Amino acid sequence: MGFKKEWETSLFEEHCLNLFPKLSSDFIGLALQNDDGPDVSWRYAAGNQNEKYKRISVRYGKGIAGKVISTGRPMTIMDFPHHITGRALEYPIMLAENLRYAFAVPIHINEMPKGVFLIGNRTEKPVAEMDKDIIQKAAHMLEREFGSSNKKSV
Amino acid sequence: MTTQPENQKVSSYIIQSQEQEIKRIALELHEGVGQSLYSLFTGLQFIEKAVKEPEMKSYMGNMTNIMEKTIQEIRLLSVELHPPTLTTLGIVPAVKSYLKLYTSTYGIEVTVDHCGDEVPLTERENIALFRVCQEALVNIARYADTSSASVIFIWDKDLLSITIKDSGKGFDVEAGMEKSCGLAAMKERMKLIGGKCSIASNTGEGTAIEVLLPL
Ligand SMILES: Nc1ncnc2c1ncn2[C@@H]1O[C@H](COP(=O)(O)OP(=O)(O)O)[C@@H](O)[C@H]1O
Ligand SMILES: [Mg+2]
Repeated sequence: MGFKKEWETSLFEEHCLNLFPKLSSDFIGLALQNDDGPDVSWRYAAGNQNEKYKRISVRYGKGIAGKVISTGRPMTIMDFPHHITGRALEYPIMLAENLRYAFAVPIHINEMPKGVFLIGNRTEKPVAEMDKDIIQKAAHMLEREFGSSNKKSV
Repeated sequence: MTTQPENQKVSSYIIQSQEQEIKRIALELHEGVGQSLYSLFTGLQFIEKAVKEPEMKSYMGNMTNIMEKTIQEIRLLSVELHPPTLTTLGIVPAVKSYLKLYTSTYGIEVTVDHCGDEVPLTERENIALFRVCQEALVNIARYADTSSASVIFIWDKDLLSITIKDSGKGFDVEAGMEKSCGLAAMKERMKLIGGKCSIASNTGEGTAIEVLLPL
């Protein structure tokens, strides 16, 4: 119930890497559930400061990505590490990429949140409404394409 | 044992009773809740296989998936609270199992070096050492802005030394100690078990925490 690797890569490049230059955000990342097992990990990023995201497994219910996966709803973070629920340590992607503002949306496959699209800023600058709109749309696009390919492969 | 000042005895007592409580919760999560959820998980898998109707099957699949994630998070939580190996196998295996979780949580790679022969320690010593390592590592994840760190255990005839090092941001130790109490608590914990903890850091050069415990 995961994602086909090659096909997924080309999809991401199409929808996301090309997307990054159109955003005013500093960082964009996509986390997806692995093919084998329940782990959700960061697969792709642009604007990253280091490679830490590649080793991070999103913990269920923890941090911005973990909460988006467990609730299936978008989430915004303003002025991290202030005004967050729980400890700053529960927000690994914010720490790893030195983000202060972030916005994340779920990607639903078969009615289950199986991935997260996240954008963020490192400076005192909330995520632009236009950027939020763009990744919402990109997430829906991915949902449609993953959905239709899943049906094909059944 | 030499007589400790009264307030040291009290802090020691407070720490120990809290640690016992944390251990109890960790064990309950791992053995109790974790085990029950695992039974439910295998039950769900069984039903999922038996169900024929595609929509219901996919629904069961999703539930099994949520259960699996929950079980995994409970395991990780219990290792963070008090690794089950700390009491049974000692400080080195406990730190190693914590580091696995640490790397997959924060993306920071940590090398572990080990020399000399490991000596069994008391539970109190194991817990104090583990907490100090944990605090040092957590500080690295939170403040050092680095992708790697190292932990070195050296077991001498009559002295154990543990060094936790990063080559990240570094900080002014005096100012850091004034900001919060985590570093001071590391020192205090080591003092209470008859050891020592020294903190060396320079802005731009990284940080080294050295812990010494006479054996
Ligand atoms: N490994 C480290 N790298 C950079 N800065 C650090 C590190 N460890 C601690 N610091 C600095 O020292 C301060 C105090 O640390 P600590 O006493 O553990 O408090 P806390 O973790 O509660 O902020 C931190 O706020 C941080 O500025
Ligand atoms: Mg601290």
